[in-house]
Amino acid sequence: MAAVRRHRSAGPLFVAPFLVLFLLLFLAPLGYAAYLSLFQERLIGGTVFVGLDNYVQALGDSQLLHGVGRVALFFVIQVPVMLLLALLFALALDSGLLRLARVIRLGIFVPYAVPSVVAALMWGYLYGPDFGPFAQLSRKLDLPVPHFLSDGWMLGSLANIVTWEFVGYNMIILYAALRTIPHELYEAAAMDGAGAWRIAWSVKLPALRPALMLTLLFSVIGSFQLFNEPNLLMKIAPAVISSSYTANLYAYSLAFTGNQVNYAATVSFLLGLLIVIVSYGVLLTANRRRTP
Amino acid sequence: MTTTAPETVATTAAEPARTTPAHGPSARRSTPLTIAMLAALAYFLLPLFWLLIASTKSAQDLFDSFGLWFSHTPRLLTNIKETFTQDNGVFARWLLNTVVYAVVSAVGAALLAAAGGYGFAKFRFRGDRIAFNLVLGAVMVPTTALAIPTYLLFAKAGLVNTPWAVILPSLVNPFGLYLMRIYAADAIPDSLLEAARIDGAGEAKIFFRIALRLLAPGLVTVLLFTLVATWNNYFLPLIMLNDTSLYPITVGLSSWAAQAQNGGAGASSDMIALVVTGSLISIVPLVAAFLLLQRYWQSGLATGGVKQ
Amino acid sequence: MPRNTSSMSRRLFLTTTGALSLGAALTACGGGDSGGSSGSAKPVGQADIDKAMKTPTQLTFWTWVPNIAKEIALFEKKYPAIKVKVVNAGQGTPQYTKLRTALKAGTGAPDMVQLEYQAIPTFTITDSLLDLRPYGADALKSRFVDWTWGQISGTKGEVWAIPQDTGPMGMLYRKDIFDQHGIQVPKTWDEFAAAARKLHKADPGVYLTNLAANQPAAWHGLLWQAGAKPYVTSGRSDIAISVDDAVSKKLGDYWGGLAKEGVISTDPDFTDAWYTGFNKGKYATWLTAAWGPVFLSGSAKATAGKWRAAPLPQWDPAKPSSGNWGGSTTAVLRSTKNPIAAAVFAQFLNSDPASAKMFATEQFFFPATKALLTDAEFTGDAPAFYGGQKVNQLFAEIGDTVNSTFQWPPFLDQAATDWTETVGKSLADRSDTTAALGSWQSRLTTYAKAQGFTVKGG
Repeated sequence: MAAVRRHRSAGPLFVAPFLVLFLLLFLAPLGYAAYLSLFQERLIGGTVFVGLDNYVQALGDSQLLHGVGRVALFFVIQVPVMLLLALLFALALDSGLLRLARVIRLGIFVPYAVPSVVAALMWGYLYGPDFGPFAQLSRKLDLPVPHFLSDGWMLGSLANIVTWEFVGYNMIILYAALRTIPHELYEAAAMDGAGAWRIAWSVKLPALRPALMLTLLFSVIGSFQLFNEPNLLMKIAPAVISSSYTANLYAYSLAFTGNQVNYAATVSFLLGLLIVIVSYGVLLTANRRRTP
Repeated sequence: MTTTAPETVATTAAEPARTTPAHGPSARRSTPLTIAMLAALAYFLLPLFWLLIASTKSAQDLFDSFGLWFSHTPRLLTNIKETFTQDNGVFARWLLNTVVYAVVSAVGAALLAAAGGYGFAKFRFRGDRIAFNLVLGAVMVPTTALAIPTYLLFAKAGLVNTPWAVILPSLVNPFGLYLMRIYAADAIPDSLLEAARIDGAGEAKIFFRIALRLLAPGLVTVLLFTLVATWNNYFLPLIMLNDTSLYPITVGLSSWAAQAQNGGAGASSDMIALVVTGSLISIVPLVAAFLLLQRYWQSGLATGGVKQ
Repeated sequence: MPRNTSSMSRRLFLTTTGALSLGAALTACGGGDSGGSSGSAKPVGQADIDKAMKTPTQLTFWTWVPNIAKEIALFEKKYPAIKVKVVNAGQGTPQYTKLRTALKAGTGAPDMVQLEYQAIPTFTITDSLLDLRPYGADALKSRFVDWTWGQISGTKGEVWAIPQDTGPMGMLYRKDIFDQHGIQVPKTWDEFAAAARKLHKADPGVYLTNLAANQPAAWHGLLWQAGAKPYVTSGRSDIAISVDDAVSKKLGDYWGGLAKEGVISTDPDFTDAWYTGFNKGKYATWLTAAWGPVFLSGSAKATAGKWRAAPLPQWDPAKPSSGNWGGSTTAVLRSTKNPIAAAVFAQFLNSDPASAKMFATEQFFFPATKALLTDAEFTGDAPAFYGGQKVNQLFAEIGDTVNSTFQWPPFLDQAATDWTETVGKSLADRSDTTAALGSWQSRLTTYAKAQGFTVKGG
């Protein structure tokens, strides 16, 4: 009996360390941020309670709306491309048709280990319109110089950097999931006379569904929270990347440049809310399609 | 969310992942596919190739020579030496800081996630569902929302500008908790736990002696991914740390880059060569760690991708 | 010990102490231009100062000056009980951000901090700086160039910081490119525009100058030269913002026009591409500050010997003027626990002749003290990078033409970011600069009003 009692009370004890830290490091600051978003701190006049004024202002803030629009566009373009590539690479690696599979797998994964500071440095140089290698080659070949850092191309250039950084990570998740498909399924399919493509479609893809959901979810969060890469490229393309280029960047600039901590908290909350809505929307749509 | 693959999948967590190809004789290789994948590989390695080449150049050569090939006077060793001696050898300090922050955070996060995942997976208690879903929901909050409030709270606790300001937030890894929960549910049969309890073993003993061992691959996965996340963490240490001697490598390199970029008296363009070389040096340890520990994290990730 | 020495030394001690306290008392009682002030300027007695300087103290100093250890050593030698810890918390805006956050949190802020002139009002509006008058700072006024003292003074005569170095603006030009294309050194802006067109037509790969689209400081320096007063604060909460007034529009039309014509470039500065531009002769001049010559000689080694210096082109050749870009001061934070030691440090670092000279010889800063600006060794310097021209002397003369009444806003970082996103962007995009100036004005006005200021002008 003592064993059972001990057993029942052990659960909370195991989760307590994690939850306590979670409370202190996540929930407490979050609560404080929520509190801050109801006030306004002014250089003249000090801190004033404004209720939901900040939220009303944010919903009508054209800079914020543009920033959100941009990350939404980024999401719609970059994520499918990245996940498709990750899927194709994972399938290729799992197909057994590749030589040097190990090298390729590791090589595609390596960019994940590179900090975004370094990635921005490297790509910033490669994109350079005067002295970057692509520009130099274009000039030598008498082709028009690609303007990676211009207004029209910037979102695509950022998407390229993010894809470069994370395809490997997503690929590994999908590949690992593929590796766990039991032999019996393949044998059964082979006995039914299925060719490689059919196997991929009917056996592998369904098995990948959970993994794809996972990577999709991460990508929703990552793209709407886009901050690092535009922040780091701001230095070399200041006329293109404004301080409100993405919603997260806007929140950061409000807090750290404009001394508007309260409004920044408001913007961050609204962004978080948007991410939750989009995430659940994505999950629900995917699940609904699955039920036969 | 339900699982799709049959229950047989659950056992794979305890077995090593398949190493032989799924189907077809291994003799049949496709050259076109290999070439296509090698082209993809070239794309992924191109910037790193540039970084390697650029590290062999002096600041002047960086501006003068073609980006993707060596200059006439390669000086990799000189650059490395200068990187380590600049500012009284602060670069080595930064590397050490990064290793300490990353390793401590990774080990701590992995243990906390393991204990938490084990607790959620193997025990039922009031509020466990709510707590778990709350943690998962936390992943969606942009960190910028938390930056200033966390800073203010840490300041009150006197933790700002200390290593704890970087380590503590990294110990909380919601995805790690999720992963460990699934792993624990799969890898640790309830029957084993019951048997141990009947034998009179205490919960702590069961956890450390039996459960942790079974959780090893998942644990290493969480450890490695927290390691990468902390190693590459830039935003948090940037706002928490003022003392240069506490910087991790990301903030340190960024401060050197800023020295070259921010003009005014005291600026210098020579820093650029050091930033480039420093960047190269900074990615070597992580890449090496991943190479050496491949076996573990791949099987650990397998479970996370399979179950809900 | 022989009797006379001790009595002599005691008499000497008393005399000097008496003189100092008398001096301090005189300074306090209405010695400044802005009239006497209230009790906050009450001088700290010399006895208290001496006592504090002998008490073991640890001071923290945030600065980005490289190798400042040498100057610190001078201070620590004079006051062995005081130890100064130097922290590089970033250069310019990143450091100001950190400082603001630390002040808001109430902990982690240093005792002394390096502040550029333009950043001072941003920290006085939040009452973050310590008035240095009670610690004898007024006595230093005559040692520094007039306009710098204007920059560090508050509306009630407070001394918020001690000037360290300056950046009067001039023009560095490539003599060889000018000679090659038959261009005279432009003395007026009209001549400059004509030269820009001529040069770019003759060689499309070269631009007369680069006006960086991400450099609000240069723009403000040019406004300063043109006699503009974009920000006028009167009293604590009143501010007049006029960044699109007639003078600004004149500048906007001028530079926007040149950008549209494509005869100047607008590349972001201090980037790899920009450095390479200098090395490869893309830019024929650099409109820069007095710290520019040394910087350029370190960054554009491939072009050594080809550059010369000249004053900026003028709007009115009869009244030569210039603006300032950069230069820093040392300020003390009000939150410090060691006000006396910190105040003495700030004053020593920048006014002690040996220390001030070191800034010029070791870090190659452009001095803020009159003594150094007339020092023969300094003005006689004739670097080979500039073909043996006495660059320092030229900039010293330019420094005399910087007008003293330019003011900065109490929210500099916001103003700078808004400039980059409106006017800077219009230069880079070659779009309507006048409209951009209007955007900048309205953004600043909205921001100031939201922050509780009473805004005039616009």
